[in-house]
Amino acid sequence: MSEIVRMVVVLSLIAGICSAVLTMANQGLGPRIEQQTDLYVRGPALERLFNKPATEVLPNKVTIETDEATIPVFFSRDGETVSTLAIEAIGAGGYGGDLKLMIGIDLTTGRQIGIEVVQHSETPGLGARIEEVTFRRQWQGLPTDAPVALAGDGGTIDGISGATSTSRAAVSGTNTVLTFLRNHKEDILQQIAQREEQI
Amino acid sequence: MSKTQHIGATLKAGLWQRIPPFRLVLGLCPSLAITTSAENGLGMGLALAFVVTLSNGIISSLRNIIPGKVRIASYIVIIATLVSIVEIVMKAFFFPLSEQLGIYIPLIVVNCIVLGRAEGFASKNPPLISMADGVSIGVGYTLSLTLIGSIRELLGSGSWFGLPVFGEAFEPLAFLILAPGAFITIGILLGLQNLFSRWRGEKFIQS
Repeated sequence: MSEIVRMVVVLSLIAGICSAVLTMANQGLGPRIEQQTDLYVRGPALERLFNKPATEVLPNKVTIETDEATIPVFFSRDGETVSTLAIEAIGAGGYGGDLKLMIGIDLTTGRQIGIEVVQHSETPGLGARIEEVTFRRQWQGLPTDAPVALAGDGGTIDGISGATSTSRAAVSGTNTVLTFLRNHKEDILQQIAQREEQI
Repeated sequence: MSKTQHIGATLKAGLWQRIPPFRLVLGLCPSLAITTSAENGLGMGLALAFVVTLSNGIISSLRNIIPGKVRIASYIVIIATLVSIVEIVMKAFFFPLSEQLGIYIPLIVVNCIVLGRAEGFASKNPPLISMADGVSIGVGYTLSLTLIGSIRELLGSGSWFGLPVFGEAFEPLAFLILAPGAFITIGILLGLQNLFSRWRGEKFIQS
């Protein structure tokens, strides 16, 4: 009997200590990992949207809490006013899982700058063609006050043939961002201003 | 044998007598999969060296406390913790490398070398010499993987640690970067090592 007790106690102790060590490591290095992920995963997309080096854009980040999710928003300014935003979106319903998108918004003209794919797991040659410029170019200059839609649904976006669900996911991700922007624009600008004051 | 001699012999053993993956013929899966470049080989080797050294040290210190029936479970918990730490540290400081190595870093948990040294060496020996064994196996593995990676990178893409070596005129043997190239490279190296050992009249060590 005592042997069983000893087994349970020793194994629980080892597991407990290990979990404690891991928690500490995770909490200690969590912010740094977040930073590195920003640089290597979101960085390239931001570079293309803002036309600036990623290291310049990345510090300009605010996170907006909504009821459903925490949404990272990157911004750049033209003089004093905030001119462009890049809002991250989840394009739900891609063929290989959700897409992670970044939508660029030009606040001065009220139009979209473009769409960038941060992460996806779509089929190479079909859904993965979402990365191609010919598909993504269709977003440039679209208004931000009207939802986007695929041509088949009465909109302006030509989907990728053979990858309807991927195209739909990109469109629905964009619409999430547009709705989010409509409801939270004041919130975003306020947070950016607040952040400025802190610095 | 005196204690220092014993540690010295253990330290040397991992570099030739039981150099992984050639002599132990364990840990072949990452050796085949990630050695597409010298840098990847070095990174993987160092990650494993860290894990095997510390896991040997910890397991050997606890060898009289851990009950025999749950020893493998305990070893795996300890090894998994160390591997997770490596993964976290790598993500924080060497992000591109951790993307390259991908799933093979978490898979160190089930790497036969680590578990093999824990069960075969650390559970029977005191901590200091167990750590020496871990260091020597780890360094041996790092050297082997860097060598395999160097050969495949040099001939397969004409560069070494990412720096071009042969210039424009060199036509890389692209198949060496692919899976068959890994088997061929490791096979040839293993064969050469066995030939050399036979020529020197060495006995093949199994433990």
